[in-house]
Amino acid sequence: MAKKALFTLSLNGDQTDVAAAPDATLLETLRDGLGVLSPKRGCNQGVCGACTVLIDGVPVRSCLTLTARCEGHEISTMEGMNTDPVMEVLQRHMVASGGVQCGFCTSGMLMSARNLLAETPRPDREAVKSALSGNLCRCTGYRTIVDAICTAAEELAQ
Amino acid sequence: MSLDAFAGTTVGQPVAKVDSLEKVRGQAQYIADLYRPGMLHGAILASPYPHARILGYDLTEALAAPGVVAIVTGHDVGDGRMGAFIKDEHAIARGKVMYVGEPVAAVAARTEAEARAACRLIQVQYEELPAVLSPEEGLAEGAPILHEHLADYIKVFDAGSTGNLCSRTRLEEGNVDSAWDQCDVIVEGDYTTQAQAHVSMEPCGALAEVDANGRVTLWSANQSVFRVQANVCESLSLPMSQLRSLTPRVGAGFGNKMEPHIQPICVALAMKAQRPVKLILSREEDFEMVRARHPFKVWMKTGAKADGTLVARECRVLLDCGAFADDSPGVMGYALLMCGGPYRIPHLRASGQLVYTNKLRFGAFRGFGNPQVLFAGEQQIDQIAEKLGLDAFEIRRRNMLREGDRWFVGPQIASNGLARCIDAVEQAAKTPRADGSPRNFGLAVTAHISGLLGTGAIVRMLEDGTISLNTGATDIGQGSDTVLAQICAEELKVPLDRVAVASPDTDGSPYNWGTTASRVTYTTGRAVKAAARVVVDKAMEHAAEMLDCPIEELELREGGRIGRKGANTDLTFAQISGRAHWAVGGPIVGSNTLVFDEPTHDPKRAIALGLPFPRIGVFSFAAMGVDVDVDQVSGQVTVHEAWSAADVGRAINPKLVEVQLHGGFVQGLGYALVEEMVWDGARLANPSLMDYKVPTMRDVPDAIHTFIIEDPEPSGPFGAKGAGEIGLNPVVGAVANAVAKATGFRHHHLPLTGERVLNGMTGRG
Amino acid sequence: MTQILFPETLDQAVALLARHDEARPIAGGTTLVAMRNAGLVDSSHLVSLDRIPGLRGIERLADGRIRVGAMTRHADTAASDLFTGSLAVVRKAAGMIANKVVRNMGTMGGSVANADPAADYLPALACADAVLSVLGPDGAREIPILTYVQDWYETALEPGEILTAITFPAPEDAPSAYRKIARVSGDYATASCAMALTPDGQGLRVAIGACGPGPIRDVQAEAVLHGHLQDPQAVAEFAAALVAKADPVDDVRGSADYRLALIPRLIASVLSDLISAKEAA
Repeated sequence: MAKKALFTLSLNGDQTDVAAAPDATLLETLRDGLGVLSPKRGCNQGVCGACTVLIDGVPVRSCLTLTARCEGHEISTMEGMNTDPVMEVLQRHMVASGGVQCGFCTSGMLMSARNLLAETPRPDREAVKSALSGNLCRCTGYRTIVDAICTAAEELAQ
Repeated sequence: MSLDAFAGTTVGQPVAKVDSLEKVRGQAQYIADLYRPGMLHGAILASPYPHARILGYDLTEALAAPGVVAIVTGHDVGDGRMGAFIKDEHAIARGKVMYVGEPVAAVAARTEAEARAACRLIQVQYEELPAVLSPEEGLAEGAPILHEHLADYIKVFDAGSTGNLCSRTRLEEGNVDSAWDQCDVIVEGDYTTQAQAHVSMEPCGALAEVDANGRVTLWSANQSVFRVQANVCESLSLPMSQLRSLTPRVGAGFGNKMEPHIQPICVALAMKAQRPVKLILSREEDFEMVRARHPFKVWMKTGAKADGTLVARECRVLLDCGAFADDSPGVMGYALLMCGGPYRIPHLRASGQLVYTNKLRFGAFRGFGNPQVLFAGEQQIDQIAEKLGLDAFEIRRRNMLREGDRWFVGPQIASNGLARCIDAVEQAAKTPRADGSPRNFGLAVTAHISGLLGTGAIVRMLEDGTISLNTGATDIGQGSDTVLAQICAEELKVPLDRVAVASPDTDGSPYNWGTTASRVTYTTGRAVKAAARVVVDKAMEHAAEMLDCPIEELELREGGRIGRKGANTDLTFAQISGRAHWAVGGPIVGSNTLVFDEPTHDPKRAIALGLPFPRIGVFSFAAMGVDVDVDQVSGQVTVHEAWSAADVGRAINPKLVEVQLHGGFVQGLGYALVEEMVWDGARLANPSLMDYKVPTMRDVPDAIHTFIIEDPEPSGPFGAKGAGEIGLNPVVGAVANAVAKATGFRHHHLPLTGERVLNGMTGRG
Repeated sequence: MTQILFPETLDQAVALLARHDEARPIAGGTTLVAMRNAGLVDSSHLVSLDRIPGLRGIERLADGRIRVGAMTRHADTAASDLFTGSLAVVRKAAGMIANKVVRNMGTMGGSVANADPAADYLPALACADAVLSVLGPDGAREIPILTYVQDWYETALEPGEILTAITFPAPEDAPSAYRKIARVSGDYATASCAMALTPDGQGLRVAIGACGPGPIRDVQAEAVLHGHLQDPQAVAEFAAALVAKADPVDDVRGSADYRLALIPRLIASVLSDLISAKEAA
């Protein structure tokens, strides 16, 4: 087996050492190296958005991010969102709206939404679509996802 | 947060899906998320040729590559063949390759990267053969023959296979030839539809392991653990008792995961490696080796009287089958059954040919052939209306099938809410746009079946009175676990959270043909309701003995209690189940199995040759309106507003029905406007999400209005019938009719890209 | 297996590229990592420009020119208020690249260096008369955008050279716009049009994207058109000149014929919008 590199990552608030191929993507390192499975490999080309994670709070494609570039930055995945009050509201509205069907896109969708609400607490529907248009969903037709994020934002603004 | 926040536990309530919490928390496990001790990773070598004889393999270099444990080729899989209608397909290419992308060999290695690297080291010697790349080429005199032993294959219906003709079907009712003379207006045209990729967000994958006795356990992304079991066992010549098929959560299936993808290869690898093997396709492989919606060539002719009454229709279709039959005979047969639309057409003839080609197999895709013929049929209805000066709503109302009518070739229609669907769309769409501008409105109506084949349910009352429901129906995300639990809870009058839904497992679940054909709510729902009724009856017997009164004096009460009518005292299910477990009678288990057995074809009424479905199902109906904008620079079409009304009998869960209508609309919109698999010669030119585009959030209208029409189906559970496909079917028809309104040009070729529409607008169409 | 190197100065980066024959620079990675995932990158080394100070950010130079560091993300360009007037076309193009998440990753330098003919920046930069700064083993030099693309995916960048910055002339008080025709939101262009009016409102600069190996611009035809923007015949002749220079291909986004048909339609449409904007101003 080719020689692995050792990376020190800050993941969901913890420092973690992980061995991976020197050119491993963050998606490969998270899934294969660390057992962090909420980011999904839907296309591995940066198109579908199922692998979206936050780096320093900003959503990126983990499949297009080299692990080597992530040292020194804070990586957040859905696994680290259990105590995030904004994410809890987003999750609740996604469940209620019917925005969750097969669920494969859901984590990526919500990570993008989490960043949107940090930047724009009261997004209108166009802003939601603009922020999430890089997260593909084949089940819902998107309506109920936009509904969920807008109603979550309303609740959070109160 | 718990699901209690979304109160309402019974039929008709929009309860949250039982799997939604794990999904929003990122905890749901799909096939790629499963790991086993000692597990290897698989990868596939794909054929570079559309048609070639395999002369030999040199595995030396690949076997010596780092991490490689086992390699499987056609030499390892025997002569077993699988197929839903015609058993024509090996587990992996054997003797010949039949399309570019077909699996030729597979490697199991320590890591996916090592397995993929080793695949590139496998040497295969091929002798290239001339390829067939279209149905016309396949039918031509002297065409290269793809399946030399076609005559010997097992077929489950009268296929009429010969040469490269995989199957042919002909249906006829009335006397079409003499009917044209009775028509005052006739329209006729040729239409083509394109191949569409399913693009489930989760690519296909499987994980197999073999125990000490040689018995295989197989997890896979699927729409039916039982079809997986059958296909793997047929193709690898295993007794079905030697394979246990299970499912993790499934990242959607729109037909692509119903029949086999790479499960047989994964099992063959695990058997050879004697280690667990996980094999997950890349997105590109998922495009190239799974299956796709059939491209159709349709010729259709429709005639009517001057008052708009439809008289006759003839429809001929030519289908590209791809290299293997898969579900294709079913798709063609179903398309022909549906080609008359939900109309009274006394003289109707439909015929089709399905032709093998050197492309990936085409197969089931939401709609199952219905959208392709609807694209022609619903445009012709509009054209007739235009010629006669009739309104689009009016001509459809005048001709629609009614309750008690029979569908083409014979099935009886018991419930029919089509009139109410049409009314709902007309009412909502007759208002002008908010800015007062006129609408570019298009309408289409459709029907679809739900039913087909066998299913079952086992309902067990646990010691404490809570319930375990086991159906074998894979929930692919659409929410069948929730809907079936609602049906079960309703029948037992227990809260929804007292019903646990077992994950499908061929070892423990009753047979279910599959999550397909809009059938689980209707068919499996019937079995669940009947099985739950058995449990109630048994509990009543216990209660009668415990309360020492006749059963007729007992009643089932909310919360899962049984008491004597008029008396306050009652027994809990816990008390009853405890008695059954520990004292008298034995644990309470209710089960029910059924097969949809209403015949499709009435020989006194119609001729049917080569019909692959002797029994289909009950009918759902829908009407759809769209209002489109056409960009004057590019010709690109966008939907300004859409109305989707569907008669689903009874919405067990209206929220889930609504999302089915939304999702079907958007998948249909992608099909109508942009999605197209393009071949460059024999090679797929756009097998990636960079090049094959599906609609994003910004490409769909916010205003998708849904109307759930409930015309209860007498045989359905609480009146329910299917909702999975009905929202997709009409999109191509409604959009094409709206584009004709907006541009004055009728399109005969899908998709309606900006380029096609601009060509139509500028007279180059 | 590809090694990733993280030089901390441009000189180090240039030296690393010179030292390793098969090394290539990597910026945001949105294209190169996708290629790597598809098994299409066999470089021994990727030289990341990620940790080199000074490559990120947009600044107004003393003479009014706007300088964009090569590692500036699309998201930052799309949000910058320095791209006013005739340079708004750059900001607008940046905002139409792919989607918001990819715009958080991709960089102007990476996109320009990759020179995908259907990507959004090249026509915008051509319309805006950008100048590319590059550094290589033989030192620094500048490449005017109109001489940059030489053939399909072939540019004036020499092996071992790194694109370091893109500089734009000081913005003029004239409206500009970017319009792209794409199959769905975020797709690469089937055809695109970057256009700015001249400050007098009598002329234009226009570059067409995705209709040939590089952006199509005809400075002489622009001069001829000056003063005749309201004359449909003159505009049509101008568009015909660009159509004559186009060399589109048939691909999954559209046919060559469709692209040729789009060029005059895009020009007329965007011009009409800009004239309205000018009149409203």
